[in-house]
Amino acid sequence: MTDETDQTRTDGGGQPALPPDDKTPTWHERKARKDGLARLTYEYFERGRLEDQRLRQESDYIERDVLGFPTWPHETIRNLSIGSFFVGMIILLAATLPPHFGDEGDPSVTPEVILPDWYLYPAFGVLQLDPINPSLALLGGDKLVSDELYGVVATGVLVGVLVVYPFVNKGAARRPVEEPFWAAVGMVGLSFGFTISVLSIDQLVADRMTGMTAPLVFDLTFIAPVVIGVVTYAVLRAMREGYMYELNRRYYRLRPPR
Amino acid sequence: MSMKRRDEFDRRAWLAEQDLTHLEEVYLRGLMFLDRRFRLVDYLEVMEDMYYKINLQLPKSHTEQYNLDNKFWYWYPLYSLGLLTLLAYIVAAVTGALLGFYYAPSVAGDPADAYSQMLFIMGDLDFGFMLRSIHRWAAQFMVAAVFLHMLRVYFTGAYKEPRELNWIIGVILLVLTIGFGFTGYLLPWNQLSFWAGQIGIEMALTTPIIGEWVDELIFGGSEPGQPTLMRMYILHVFFLPFIVTALIAIHIGIVWMQGIAEPH
Ligand code: HEM
Repeated sequence: MTDETDQTRTDGGGQPALPPDDKTPTWHERKARKDGLARLTYEYFERGRLEDQRLRQESDYIERDVLGFPTWPHETIRNLSIGSFFVGMIILLAATLPPHFGDEGDPSVTPEVILPDWYLYPAFGVLQLDPINPSLALLGGDKLVSDELYGVVATGVLVGVLVVYPFVNKGAARRPVEEPFWAAVGMVGLSFGFTISVLSIDQLVADRMTGMTAPLVFDLTFIAPVVIGVVTYAVLRAMREGYMYELNRRYYRLRPPR
Repeated sequence: MSMKRRDEFDRRAWLAEQDLTHLEEVYLRGLMFLDRRFRLVDYLEVMEDMYYKINLQLPKSHTEQYNLDNKFWYWYPLYSLGLLTLLAYIVAAVTGALLGFYYAPSVAGDPADAYSQMLFIMGDLDFGFMLRSIHRWAAQFMVAAVFLHMLRVYFTGAYKEPRELNWIIGVILLVLTIGFGFTGYLLPWNQLSFWAGQIGIEMALTTPIIGEWVDELIFGGSEPGQPTLMRMYILHVFFLPFIVTALIAIHIGIVWMQGIAEPH
């Protein structure tokens, strides 16, 4: 019968559609056929696989079905409820507080207050930093760079800092209490972002708030973040000491000092 | 020898000897029907794999072990900020597409077409004002949510190895989101748009060496005009949506692959 021959038939009969197991090239055979970079890649992954296997065999870690908060229902319910509230908020605010719409753009009339959306206030505030834009006596007090360029550079530096940040602050710590210093750095950055936004509307603030003047706003722009940073650091350090105290107390109760 | 082919795995016989409730039998028959046609068994492994991946978010083992849960539960709602960003983005995209039906990126005419189309949308178009309002608020919410999402990632230390690349993608997304805001701000061509554009142009022009070239490329001139508006429009409705959508997909794909950072 033709069914017995080795020939593959187009009607699907005879030979099984899948190659029998013993004809499937093994990992090693496939690897042996390769050389160069492909070979290197195979070897690398093969090593990793073996390593994984070995670790899994040696470990006494019990693999559980669900290692964490299950997506359903915990994460999903939370996200659905917060999410629908959020979208509802958008629509509610859109209905109650429609956006302002000004006059047509006119090159011949400069408005009194030029303001972008709030999230560009920080970038706008940087343009107000001209008092500390370094000037050179050699250039007769001329500024080294224009204020706008200063703004561009400052923004670039900020983004650069964000990009390299994960490569600077390494380690396994995650909670702010574990790293009071870095948490304080974060608070300084956060509050500076806020104060420099206020600086971009310093004139408005000085007009509206009694006791505020533009130079005072300028000074506060730099002083407030530092104060907030120091306070954050102090609080988190105190909290960390508190945790340590608890741990130590438990430790010494178990093993009293001789 | 009979030529009649026999089912090697005789499903019907197997089914017959099972003691099944009615529901189970209907279910199994349905499953068989699909399996014989689509070979579901081949996909079973893939589905199983997906099931575990989906359920592998926010590992709690460590959290349980060190009893950190009581210090962490109040952080959990903040873990939805990334999703909220995405939701706001979707709302903005839908309303934006609808607004796009009526908007015209042109300064021709008096008042400029862009401006008068905005007046039309807000004044005459049914539901138009609401549409614009929702688009705007969704944009505000998206930027706010991106910032807060970044803060939650920062203060939970979730940017650390192995998630540095996702953090960097995030930084790019942050910049692009702000770019969305800026280009959109210019489109209505009112006073604030015009002068915000003027400031953008001045900042671009002061960049050393490449300043003029950058200005020409992005703003198309040293004063806001038709080329500026057209460029902002194309950036806002073509380039940015394309890039941001792709990056968000990659960003969330990576979160899926890596799982959410475990609080330590
Ligand atoms: C369009 C903007 C963005 C969208 C739609 C988005 C979306 C998401 C989502 C849905 C998650 C899952 C966890 C969660 O919801 O918190 C996530 C995680 C993450 N995001 Fe974003 N994100 C955006 C912007 C950013 C930004 C600006 C950064 C940082 C600079 C960032 C860094 C991260 C990191 C590192 C994770 C992993 C956190 C973890 O594993 O716990 N993302 N993102």
